[in-house]
Amino acid sequence: MAVGHEPRIVGFLCNWCSYAGADVAGTSRITYPPNIRIIRVPCSGRVDPLLIVKSFQMGADGVLVAGCHPGDCHYSEGNYHARRRLAVLRPFLEYLGIERERLRVEWVSASEGRRFSQVVSSFTEQLRKLEPRKGAEVEVSS
Amino acid sequence: MNATEQIVAKARELLESGTVECVIGYERATDGVNARPLFVYQAEEAGKLIFDQTCAHNLAKYLLNRKGKATAIVAKPCDVRAVNLLINEHQVERDKVLIIGVVCPGMVETKWGRVSEKLRQACELCREHTPVVYDFLVGEPGDEEAAVEYPDVARMEALSIEERRAFWEEQFSRCIRCYACRQACPGCYCSECFAERLDPLWVGIRIAPSESWIWNTMRAFHLAGRCIGCNQCERVCPMNIPLSLLNRKLEKETLELFGYRAGVDAETPAPFATFRKDEKLEVGE
Ligand code: SF4
Ligand code: SF4
Ligand code: FES
Repeated sequence: MAVGHEPRIVGFLCNWCSYAGADVAGTSRITYPPNIRIIRVPCSGRVDPLLIVKSFQMGADGVLVAGCHPGDCHYSEGNYHARRRLAVLRPFLEYLGIERERLRVEWVSASEGRRFSQVVSSFTEQLRKLEPRKGAEVEVSS
Repeated sequence: MNATEQIVAKARELLESGTVECVIGYERATDGVNARPLFVYQAEEAGKLIFDQTCAHNLAKYLLNRKGKATAIVAKPCDVRAVNLLINEHQVERDKVLIIGVVCPGMVETKWGRVSEKLRQACELCREHTPVVYDFLVGEPGDEEAAVEYPDVARMEALSIEERRAFWEEQFSRCIRCYACRQACPGCYCSECFAERLDPLWVGIRIAPSESWIWNTMRAFHLAGRCIGCNQCERVCPMNIPLSLLNRKLEKETLELFGYRAGVDAETPAPFATFRKDEKLEVGE
């Protein structure tokens, strides 16, 4: 691990559960590492694998996709679809040389502020143990 | 009657009776070695049709240009699965397509103006010889097919993650983004590909490793659970990038996770078009 390297995480949080959960963490003054850059999406089902692959192309160390628990999706089934796509994307990225730990999927409800903070903390720690990402993917087009 | 004679006779009959307006098949290319696609509209022209081990194109893609028009197509087992894919995805109507299925001996390499005896790589790995569906069959149906195996993918998986990363970086760095792989693929039919979007710009126009990386990654992923393994993409790649290694990894994953093989029939929903509430997928565990 490079000295002083801070992992950069792109977090796609669904509006109805996980984004609200992150909000609860904030309003409850529960701290979590600033390594995550949050992008609010309507539903975990909106997280086109292209968004994840683009994040990695641009040098993200990790990508978090967080949505409502199965059964709780605001649109009934978005997270079931997300689950299938991500279950295939993860081994595929690993096959291309991106460690499977770098893509994390979590179900976080609107009340689970503490859990959200734990997820971000443990994810950040996990990424610290890996090398910073470099190589072709990091070279960014402006 | 050999395969060519059977196809010619069938094409003639279909055009004479007016059952179809067009027969899509193969003819000898001007180099005298390779085959090329042929569209026959007149019964008198049917004699130009051929079939042999150089007929490597997957003609199913051309059905997309003949939507709603009665068409017959000469199709090998992989091509037939592409037709199923297009029917499944509502791109082609089953009752407008007449499948002249061919029992397939495997296609061979043609190089330097000669036909070799070497089977194409995809054909060597292929375990399917009789099309899963047809309206008319050319050749004798074979015995039951053996299970698919992925020795090539397993070899990649056995490498360390650093080795795999280096391998793909080297491969993709050669990509000139001609998009021939996409043009040849029966599953790539979006009228606007993400690679051509300008806002947002997903794939930058410059030829740089990172742009080719996102292109190749997403090209393959868009075929996850849809790729029928005809290997047209790899066949046409001018840079010899082993695209089948990507496609087949995804094929293996979707087979293992969802027991699904694309194009086996035209009804079963593709893995990403459906879900089971109670499935355990090691995501969000
Ligand atoms: S055919 Fe080969 S060189 Fe052309 S875009 Fe596809 S992978 Fe790249
Ligand atoms: S990705 Fe390649 S092998 Fe798969 S269907 Fe398309 S052209 Fe055929
Ligand atoms: S709305 Fe939260 S996962 Fe669909």
